[in-house]
This record gives sequence, C-alpha cells and structure tokens, in this order.
Amino acid sequence: MMKHASVVVIGGGIVGSAIAFNLLRMGTKNVCVIEKSYVSSGSTGRCAGGIRQQWSSPMNVKLAMRSVKLFEEFEKDVGMDIEYYQGGYLLLAYTDSEVDDFEKNVRMQKSQGLDVEILTPNQIKEKFPFINVEGIKLGSWCQSDGHANPQLANIAYAIAIRKMGGEFLTHTTVTGIDVQNGQITGVQTDNGYINTEIVVDAAGFESPKIGSMIGVDIPVHGERHQILVTEAVNHFLDPLVINFNHNYYVRQTHHGSLMMGQGDANPASGEDLGNTIEFLEEMSEKMIKDFPLLKNIHIIRQWSGAYDMSPDAQPIIDESKDISRFIYATGFSGHGFMLAPAVGESVAEMIIHGRTITTDVSNLKMDRFTIGIEREHNVV
Amino acid sequence: MKEYDAVVIGGGPAGMAAAEVLGDQVKTLILDENDMLGGQLVKQTHKFFGDHAHYASTRGFEIANKFIDKIEKKPVDILTSSTVIGIYPQNTVAYVKDGHEDQVKYKKLIIATGAMERQLPFINSDLPGVYGAGAVQTLMNQYGIFPGKRFLIIGSGNIGLILAYQLAQTGVEVRAIVEALDKIGGYEVHANKAKRLGIPIFLKHTIIKAIGDESVQGAVIAEVDDKFNVIAGTEKEIVADTICISVGLMPITELAEQAKCKIVYIPELGGYVPVHDERMRTTNPDVFVAGDLSSIEEATTAMIEGKLAAMQIVEDVKKTDLEKEISNEIKTLAIFRSGPKSLKIRSGLEKMGIVTPQIEVPKFSPLPNSENGKLHAIIECTEEIPCNSCELACKFDAIKVGENINTPPVFDPLKCTGCAVCVTACPGLAIFMEKLDESPNATLGIPYEFLPLPKSNEKMWGMDRDGNYVCDLTVKRVVKNSNKTHIVYVELPKEFVDVVRHVTYPQKESPFVCRCEEITVDQIEKVIDSGITDFEEIKRITRVTMGPCGGKNCKMITLGIISRKTGIPISKLSHGTSRPPVKPVEFSAFLRGDKK
Repeated sequence: MMKHASVVVIGGGIVGSAIAFNLLRMGTKNVCVIEKSYVSSGSTGRCAGGIRQQWSSPMNVKLAMRSVKLFEEFEKDVGMDIEYYQGGYLLLAYTDSEVDDFEKNVRMQKSQGLDVEILTPNQIKEKFPFINVEGIKLGSWCQSDGHANPQLANIAYAIAIRKMGGEFLTHTTVTGIDVQNGQITGVQTDNGYINTEIVVDAAGFESPKIGSMIGVDIPVHGERHQILVTEAVNHFLDPLVINFNHNYYVRQTHHGSLMMGQGDANPASGEDLGNTIEFLEEMSEKMIKDFPLLKNIHIIRQWSGAYDMSPDAQPIIDESKDISRFIYATGFSGHGFMLAPAVGESVAEMIIHGRTITTDVSNLKMDRFTIGIEREHNVV
Repeated sequence: MKEYDAVVIGGGPAGMAAAEVLGDQVKTLILDENDMLGGQLVKQTHKFFGDHAHYASTRGFEIANKFIDKIEKKPVDILTSSTVIGIYPQNTVAYVKDGHEDQVKYKKLIIATGAMERQLPFINSDLPGVYGAGAVQTLMNQYGIFPGKRFLIIGSGNIGLILAYQLAQTGVEVRAIVEALDKIGGYEVHANKAKRLGIPIFLKHTIIKAIGDESVQGAVIAEVDDKFNVIAGTEKEIVADTICISVGLMPITELAEQAKCKIVYIPELGGYVPVHDERMRTTNPDVFVAGDLSSIEEATTAMIEGKLAAMQIVEDVKKTDLEKEISNEIKTLAIFRSGPKSLKIRSGLEKMGIVTPQIEVPKFSPLPNSENGKLHAIIECTEEIPCNSCELACKFDAIKVGENINTPPVFDPLKCTGCAVCVTACPGLAIFMEKLDESPNATLGIPYEFLPLPKSNEKMWGMDRDGNYVCDLTVKRVVKNSNKTHIVYVELPKEFVDVVRHVTYPQKESPFVCRCEEITVDQIEKVIDSGITDFEEIKRITRVTMGPCGGKNCKMITLGIISRKTGIPISKLSHGTSRPPVKPVEFSAFLRGDKK
C-alpha cells in the first residue's frame, strides 16, 4: 500500500476505475483506487451492460456518444476484449405520449449527430420477427448502441491500472478522510493510511457515506433493481430492447444468455440486495407475451444491484465548493457503466487541468438542484 | 458304453459345485465343451460378492481354479472339449470329443448348460465390431486380445458394468454405457466403480444404429420414453469402434427339452426355463438343472443350486439321508434371494411353485459419524445385495452384516483399527480409508486395481464419483496386496476427502473444472498466475460456476485450485453468493395462469 498518493479514488467500480485509468494515461503518477470488496462487486458487476446514446437531454447524448467512441477503442486502449457488441438499441413506444417523446428525442439526437431512426411496427416485425408487435406504435432505433460485459470491463481497467503503476486496493474500506483548513490531507482505511490532497468519491450509492465523512452532502440514494439471466441459447437478439411501457429491458450476451430486468413498483433500498419471486413472475409474464419464443427457456440466476439515484436521475459530476479537491462522480441512476469511459476522461481532465476538455459535463454540476431540475425520462 | 451314477453337463459354477459334492459319493462324469472347466468364471477378473462358503471377494478365474483343484483330487471323470449333441432315450448322453462321437449313460443327470447372450436388433448390427459382452470378456481376459480401442456398451446389468470396468483397467476407452431403463440394472457398487472412472451411463437411452461401412466407426443412440419408443430429436452420435451388447441372458434349454423336461416361459427367470422343484429336480425325475439354465442369477446361486441337485442325487442313488444338509442349502439360497435385487427371481420361482420366504432385511442404519484423528474405514455400501465380504474380513468386529447377507454393513469406527483389510476384500470397491485431523490436509486410502501402481510422492489427480477432476493430490504410500486390490493412500485438502473416490495420472489435456461452461484447470490457473486470486473475479473472467448448475460441482474445485496456488486454506476464501433459482426454471413455470 502506497504511503502517498497524488489522487485517491474511493470506489473501484466502473466509474472510479475509469477515472483512475484516465489519470494514469494522462501521465498522473501514484494514483490509488480503494475498493471495499472485490473488483466488480458493486453496481457495476450487477448491471446489464447496455450502452446507449438515445437520451432525452443533448448533453447526455453527447457524453454517451463520446463513451461509445471510447468503447469502440476499449480493447486497444485498455487491453481486454470485453464482449463489446454494437447490436443496437430498440426502444418501443406504446402510447401517444411515448410517440411524441420518441419523435422529439430522435429529432434532438439527430441534431447532435447521432444516427438514429424511427421504425414502424412493420419495420420492427421485419427486422425482429420474434418480437410480438401487438400494441407497438413505433420504435426508436440506433444501430451504434450496444452492450458489453461490465464485469470484464471493470476487471480490465483494474488490470490496466496496476500495469501502469497505479495501485488498486481491494477488500479495503475507507474509514475516514482527514481535512485541515478545507484541504484534504489523507485517507484512513482499515488497511492503513494514505496521504493525499485529492480525493474522488466514486462510491456509487454509498457516495453520500463518503461525503458525510467530511460534511459534504451528496443527494444520492440507493434503489434496488432486480435482474435475471437465462441459460445460453443460439444468438438471435442483436439489440438491447427497452420497453418503458411494459417496464423491462432485455439483451442477449455474447455468451448466449439473456439478461433482463425491470424497475420494481416499490423498489427496495440499495442496502437490501435481496431477490423476490414476484420479479421472476412479472418478468416471465412479460417475456412470454412479448418474446413468445422464450417460453421454455430456463432462468438460471437472479440477483439485484443498486442504482445510485440522484434527484433528477442524472449523474452528478462536480468538485466540492467547501472542501478543496474533493471531487465526486456519482448519481448515475442506472447508466453509469455506459457513461464511464467518457466520465473517466472528463473527470481526469477536471483533476489535471481544472476543467473538462473533450466533453462538456457542466450540466451535471451539483448547483442544478438549487437552480431547478429536469428529470431524465428515459430510465427503466 | 460307460455308465455313471451322475453325469453333469456343463462345467461352470453350478456344474463344478455339483461335481464337487458328487465326486466322493457316487460315480460321476462332468462334461464341458471348453478346453477347461470354469464356465464364465474363467473370464471374470473381478472379485465376487457372496459369503465365505461361496468364495466371496475372490476373483472369478481364481474361483474356477480352486474348484478345478478340488474336483481333480476327487474320483471324478472330467471330459473337457466335449460337446454334448443330444440327450437320447435310455438315459443316453451323446457328445463329440476330438472329432469323434461317443456316448455315456446316466442314472441321474444334471444339466447346467448356462445361458447365452440376448441380441438386440438395431440397424447395422451385423457390422464387424458389434460383439456380445461375453465375447469381449473372453477375448480380452482369456486370450489377451482387444477387439477395439473405443467401446460403447449397451446394457447396464452387472455384465455391462463389469465389462466397462475391466476394459478401463486395460487402458482402452469406454465411451459410455447405454441403458433403456430409467435405472441402472446391476449393483450400485459395480456402477460406481465404472462411474468414478468417468464412464457416463445414459439411462433411458437405446442404440438405434451402428455407423460404419466396413466395420463399426460409431453409433447413434437416442432417448426412449416409458414405452421404450425412441424420442425423435434426441439422437446423438458416439464415436466407437466396438459395440458390446449386454442386454441380458437367456437360458440354453435345448438339452433339457430333449431330456423330456417340461419347459415353461417365465420372463422373470430369463425366458424359457425347465420346470424344477426347490431341489432342482425337473419334471423328469432323473434330470436336474442348476445355474443360469434354471434362472438367470449369480454364480453364487448357481453354486448352491448345483450343490442342492447333487445332494438330492446322492440321496436318490445311495439312499443316504441328507435332509438336514439339503434344507440348509435351501435356506442359504433363500437368504441370497431375499434382497430387493432378487424380487424378480422370487416372483418367477413362485410361478413355478417355489415359494422363497422373503427374509426381512433389517433397515439400513446410517453409518455413525466417524471419529476424527485416526485412520479408519469409510463404507459406501447402501444397497441390499447378498455379500458379507467386509464382515468376514474384519477381525476386530467393527463391521456387522449379520445372518442375512443382503443387509448393508453397519460400521463401528470405535472398533476400527485402520488395518484396511476390508478395503481389499470388498468386491464392490466400496470401502475407503480416511484420516482427518487438525491439519488442512486429510489422508484418503483408495482401492486401486490399475497398472502401473502409483509410487510415493507422485502427483496425481483426484477424481470424484463421476470421474471428474477434483484436485491435484500427492501419493503418500501404496499398500500392495496379493489379491491385486491395492490401496493408494493420498494426501489431499480436507474439503475433498468425501469427494475424491479415484486417482488417475495427470492427463495431457487439462481437465474440466466447470462442465457447464467447459472451463479447464489450465484456464483458471492462468488467471491466478496473472495475479487475480479472488474467487469472484476469477469467476467473472472465466465464467466458472456461472452455468446452469449454479456451480454445484465446480465451485469447490475452483476454490481448491485457488487454495493450492495461493496457500490460503479453503476455509479462509470467500466463496460467492448463492442466488436463486437453485435449479434452472422455465419462464413458463412462473405464468400465473399455468399455476394450480
């Protein structure tokens, strides 16, 4: 364990790892990541791995587009095949208000340079004959969206960080942060003390716990989301399909299994990572209705993970006004994995240059909550 | 023409047992068409079940040798290479020896001609490479000839199971055993011996056809339904150059028919069988039957039947009173047949008017928790089969079977001295030795009948009951035994002492740890070597334990590899979280409408 770190990143999930990776790549030495469990033990390792650019706010679209660029280069840059597959995202609309939203979003997304289009039910049927199109009014389709294996991506970053000379501590818990006169001086862990002046809070739904150690209020809470995976079957499903109306997403992994989840009606807290039988019942009913060919496919595992929900379901990326060089990247609200490469780049730039260079993330600052917020709609 | 008090046709266990009794009592001739006595015993290299009086835990060919020794010392005429061609009027037996026909007369006749293998119709069953299991045993065990290199065995009765084990002992590959029923036909311990060598047993499967132009190159097998109809779409191809058929035996009844014995069809006894009473006398008062001809059973029952017939003949001819001996033998036979595996035989005999009292088999009481710290036996014999070899082997009263030898043994670890004589005696290779103490490693003693014998300090692979790799282990010592069941003592992580049941030399190809996802030991070791030692991270990189079985088998093996590579005891490793469902469930199972 290093005695002095230039930057301590708290949280070894995809966001913390991407930040540390980018810092090292940009030439920062002595970067230390602290993970309280194993690599990908938190929300990253539990998420479905979707990577989309079809968002409802222009800046989210831009950030996601930058992320896709970086995912395309991931294997070359980071050094591992993470099963990245640009099979597209298909969003399904069932109601008039969804139709309005989709059409508006697609116009906006196109204006940002995204290759996205509206599909009629017939076009959907032609492209994906196994989807039951009953009730579908239209679909929003982007071929360059896709998915990857988040666990591998997280581990790939960890390996790369160690290779580049960074330290990636696992099974190490932060117990305190020392501050003198508004300046950070060090981080206390259950495995020893690290002197540092810069701390990044990338602890996901537990980032408020880290903030509270030095009196910084982070308006994020954990919300449990359940997910399941089936046995592997021959590849048939290219896109990740999101059905807001029926409340689910589903994708087929590189391995052949189908991974899917929903937003529970009354989600449990992120502290409770248990499972419910109702989830299996509800998902089964939806799948058999919308993907009749899955009727006799076996579910082999269910689990849950925590979304780090912010008040407007958008990330919070900022530096504290009160504690100098306390930076937080949290509140990803279920889409941290897909944004991580671009966020990692932007936060590293913030730390090194004091401002972002590649992608503007200024709309994700904390002060938006005092100015007035608009919630991201496209969330399952 | 020579005349004998007793003529015995057939020199298998039934005929030999009869000749042994008849030998010093009446003028006796025994005829056999092979060049030596012994019948099927001469090709059996495995140890037999049974009790001490009937050569329990002695190998088949050794039983034959012992019998031959005894008979040769008695005033018995022995005619080998003599084929009986017919039974003629006036109690005449005609036979051919050395190309010449000759005849003898008998006062009493015992026909013990045994049985022949049933055939199974399937496409291309006439291709060279399709054999009866017995023929393969003869070629291999008697003449040292191998008909092939990759064997497929049809039928999981004792013969099929034993053949599979014997083939594997010689180092050839046994691809699978195929069984049409939903359970294994033979003894569990025989099945376990084959399974721990990694030989899969496909239940509810049958062979549809042999593949090949000039000779067998493979076979198509498929699943069958409850009515034995092939289920379309379940066909699989198995590469094999030899197909062994062991789907049962049927009695050879021709001579009995010619001797005017009434023949009836009783499927439970093997098909057409001569009607006989409990003393083995047929409807012809001068003619007796014994062995597989009278009902398809074991060598042990054949011996008792041979004895019974012989005793009755001695009574008949010499008018001596052997009633006490005869009723003893009848009782012994009844005990042998009292187990659940003999249900068919009992009901078959009942049709013939022979009622076998079903002797109550005491309920098997589970083995008590064994003592830690000292070397002691572990007995894995739970099926009610007629055998008490272990009880006889134990000089310390630690193993109890009791009067009914169908009772599974009850073991008292407090009395066990760790001498391991029972391990070498058990015909089912179902006894192991174990020592557990404070150290993270345990000692395990495994019965071993393969060559070459391992040497001390050799590194080997520990295999589980299904023949899958479990862990690397080290041979501590090898105890050789004159009966060829040697004991290999190995040291292995404590956690696997109940899992490992066989050892094998490390193979070139890395063994599978996770069969669902086909992850090998090599793949896992490579990840560990790269510096990633956390089970959870290894799991995510390799997919080990992430398959449909949920890691039931491979999790412990993976932890074992991590422990071996890192030196951290398994108990200190994190081992992941169990997630529902514990078994794969179809989406349709959760449909509310489908529920009761």
